[in-house]
Amino acid sequence: MKILNMLVPMTIEGLKVTLGVFLVTLVFAIPLAVVVALLRRSNNRAISGVTATYIYIMRGTPLLLQLMFIFFGFHFVPVIGYAFSRFQAIYIAFILNYTAYFAEIFRGGINSIDLGQYEAAKVLGMSKPFTFIKVILPQVIKNVLPAIGNEVITLVKDTSLVYILGASDILKAAKSVSNVYSAFSPYVMIALVYLAIVAVLTKLLSNIERRYNYYR
Amino acid sequence: MFNFKKRGTLLLVVMTMVAMFIVGCSNDAPAGDAELKSVVMGLDDTFAPMGFRDEKGELVGFDIDLATEVAARSGWDLSFQPIDWSMKETELNAGNIDLIWNGYTITDERKEKVNFSEPYLANAQIVITLSDSDIMKLSDLEGKAVATQAESSSLDAARAQTGLVESFMDGELIEYATFNEVFNDLEAGRADAIIVDEVLARYYMVNKGAEAYKVLEEDLGPEQFGIGVRKDDQELLTELDDALNAMKDDGKYDEIYGKWFAK
Repeated sequence: MKILNMLVPMTIEGLKVTLGVFLVTLVFAIPLAVVVALLRRSNNRAISGVTATYIYIMRGTPLLLQLMFIFFGFHFVPVIGYAFSRFQAIYIAFILNYTAYFAEIFRGGINSIDLGQYEAAKVLGMSKPFTFIKVILPQVIKNVLPAIGNEVITLVKDTSLVYILGASDILKAAKSVSNVYSAFSPYVMIALVYLAIVAVLTKLLSNIERRYNYYR
Repeated sequence: MFNFKKRGTLLLVVMTMVAMFIVGCSNDAPAGDAELKSVVMGLDDTFAPMGFRDEKGELVGFDIDLATEVAARSGWDLSFQPIDWSMKETELNAGNIDLIWNGYTITDERKEKVNFSEPYLANAQIVITLSDSDIMKLSDLEGKAVATQAESSSLDAARAQTGLVESFMDGELIEYATFNEVFNDLEAGRADAIIVDEVLARYYMVNKGAEAYKVLEEDLGPEQFGIGVRKDDQELLTELDDALNAMKDDGKYDEIYGKWFAK
């Protein structure tokens, strides 16, 4: 009981960080990922090359290291170097990292659309942007939803990495309470909080999938 | 039908709001009194009894009380910044924090990276086993599994003893991120003994019931806590030492000490 009295308020504070990082990342990374996916598919070799390098670096290094680099290392970079605040660094690292993963998912989704659809749209006199937004993208979204859902759930758990920059998320709340009472149970309780968040998301994602299921 | 125009607008609004939120976060430096010098103290806020969260989630501890008193005497606008302990010197030298003050042991290795205040608390690195263990002295640790905290002075103290770490199982120490995990390893029976800060260990053992543990009489030598200050920040160091000395002279230090280490 004593443990709960301390854990609940701290968890609520921690939720602001956990859910804040989660929402900010999603809101920015998903639209950005569509753009990055298009750039990656560009016929211009320079553009697709730069994008491929970006994706390689983001997927090829741990997010923990990216957080450390952006906060502790970025201001040493000549010319563009800048000292970000803690939360700026956290948001930037998460958005850059998740954009790369989402972009590859979207690229796969865009590639899966039959070329005949572009041809049909062209015959009907639709412009290229119109074709992409009104014809291609809705089908892409429908196809990539399960893969995106997977990443979204991973993101919930990845938010716990913010500890390295001293941010107090819900896992940190458990750690604090655990230290004061020398008890292990706060960790179990926080596991339940993660499970609850993921349960809500799972439900939400399956609702969205059902809405996009208009041909079945 | 999907109305993409409407959705696009909504998305734009949400993104703008979030962007403003992020920018807002960068201005979170304490406004405070313009005449007060802004000082940021970095600490691992899970380190009881030096600096940790109480039942209400507020920062409390021996170091917190001491620092608040020093700030009041020196005219600082003091704020506390939780950090990851393994990043402490990086945080200090990057200018994100101005003080490392959280049961920070003075070692020669650290003296190369930071300036230390005068010592303000004595500590020792002790070896703890479960009470039914047959380990009685340091030499009994040969071939045993021994755990401690990574990047800690306990680790440094163990390594400083010639041949000690080499005598452990696999010739190395098992390292965990926090002392809680170190104690957990001992209780789980995976570690036969642990090396920990005396100040922290006493607090932990009182919490858990001291009869379950045994502290070896032999320890890894005495050491002292100091406050870490950036090398080029001489002025802050002087203010710090002056205030601490004054507090030792007028009894304020003893008053705070008595509050946390009553025995």
